[in-house]
Amino acid sequence: MKRIFSFIIIFLFIFPLTVFAEDRNIKLYLYYGDGCPHCEEEMKFLKTIEKKYSNLEIIKKEVWYNDANSSELQKVNEAFSINRIGVPTNVIGETIIRGYGNGTGSKIERAIKYYSNSENEYIDAVDGIINDNYKYEEKENSFEKKEEESDENVSIDVPIAGNVNLKNVSLTTAAVVIGLIDGFNPCAMWVLLFLISVLIGMKNKKRMWALGIAFLVTSALVYMCIMLAWISIAVKITTVIWIRNIIAVVALIGGVINLRSFFTHQDSGCEVVDDKKRKTIFKKIKKFTSEKSFIIALVGVIGLAISVNMVELACSAGLPLVFTELLAINNVNTFMKIMYTVLYIIFFLIDDLIVFIIAMFTMKITGISTKYNKYSHLLGGVVMLIIGILLILKPEWLMFNFK
Amino acid sequence: MKVVKINAIWCSGCLIMNKVWNNILKKYDIETIELDIDMDEEEVEKYNPGKILPVFIVFNDDKELLRITGEIKEEEMIKKLKGVCELHEKDI
Repeated sequence: MKRIFSFIIIFLFIFPLTVFAEDRNIKLYLYYGDGCPHCEEEMKFLKTIEKKYSNLEIIKKEVWYNDANSSELQKVNEAFSINRIGVPTNVIGETIIRGYGNGTGSKIERAIKYYSNSENEYIDAVDGIINDNYKYEEKENSFEKKEEESDENVSIDVPIAGNVNLKNVSLTTAAVVIGLIDGFNPCAMWVLLFLISVLIGMKNKKRMWALGIAFLVTSALVYMCIMLAWISIAVKITTVIWIRNIIAVVALIGGVINLRSFFTHQDSGCEVVDDKKRKTIFKKIKKFTSEKSFIIALVGVIGLAISVNMVELACSAGLPLVFTELLAINNVNTFMKIMYTVLYIIFFLIDDLIVFIIAMFTMKITGISTKYNKYSHLLGGVVMLIIGILLILKPEWLMFNFK
Repeated sequence: MKVVKINAIWCSGCLIMNKVWNNILKKYDIETIELDIDMDEEEVEKYNPGKILPVFIVFNDDKELLRITGEIKEEEMIKKLKGVCELHEKDI
């Protein structure tokens, strides 16, 4: 009986140790600035995880007003070969996580779980840096390596295409679908049809191709410049929750406008564009295309494409804005941002290209049924409402990070 | 019966309906007056075409019987026309 009792006592002492053996005590160093909004956001987040991980000690160090902490952060940055000092900066073990935006919270938690596991190496880098006995070295098994691997693991093997990353697929799909929906917006199409009708009358095939292509390429470039400018702004401000919410509200309003158009315009057909605007554009097209000098005609058509697309962009009711926000919150690199924008614009222009190429080969204007415009309003409305709601309630679902 | 058809060069829906109307004209004898909203401005104004193109305005003895706007299918168009007047098939 005594033996059984002793066994139970030993079991009760050892069992918790074996179960929670993984949970080693770890420290999270947060370098923050007093009054920095991202830092405040992170502090709120840290409060929630402090309760969740009893083995976690959070050490907060203010750097804007505290010189000692500021020079400590400087040393930390130097140790990790980082040039620019920024707040918030988190250090867990040998992992440095800078800034606080979408996905940072989940990354911090993954780092906590990684270092809490006693099977993984844990070195308190900040402690070492303070005591001048730490040197950062790249290791084969590290949190960063694990993160890179899990990035690779979100890819699947597709016949012919090979290894495909799901995050890229999601953004590619978004570029194709949103670009296509945006393209069926009839706002810029009527100008192209005007132009084609005048070009066909010219009977000069080379000139027709050149002026038509100039119009389409300029339209694409104008759209691209505006979208890239939006992206560069969106990347900087996307971590500010209220700005993201404003974009979400734009998406919701755009969604409602699109759905309203679908339900109220039961008659398919073309909406008559404002008389004055239409006549001015028609006059300009006639003037430029009838110019004897090809260069003047070309410059005129390019100018027209710029002005029309700048004005008609508002007609898209926020679809390009929503797409640029998707790119911003997914934190893709600059090259990929350009590639996704190019893809969006190709699909945005696909209907115009089809109409133009058919017209050039057959010398007849072909119309794409306005019924597609109607359904583009329905699809556009649904897509914008979904993205708007997700931006407010579940932005992480739009991050396609699959982790 | 007379049909006033109001189009625009820049209107995709008008281009689609041109085909539909030409098919109908192959089968039925209908006097058609084609007007372009930009080229025949003064004439178009008389008919107050509204905001959606194309517009088909059906007259009998100068009395407006029916107005059809936007894109519709050939059968639907014929049904609507037959609903207000008699259509005379062409001798083939």
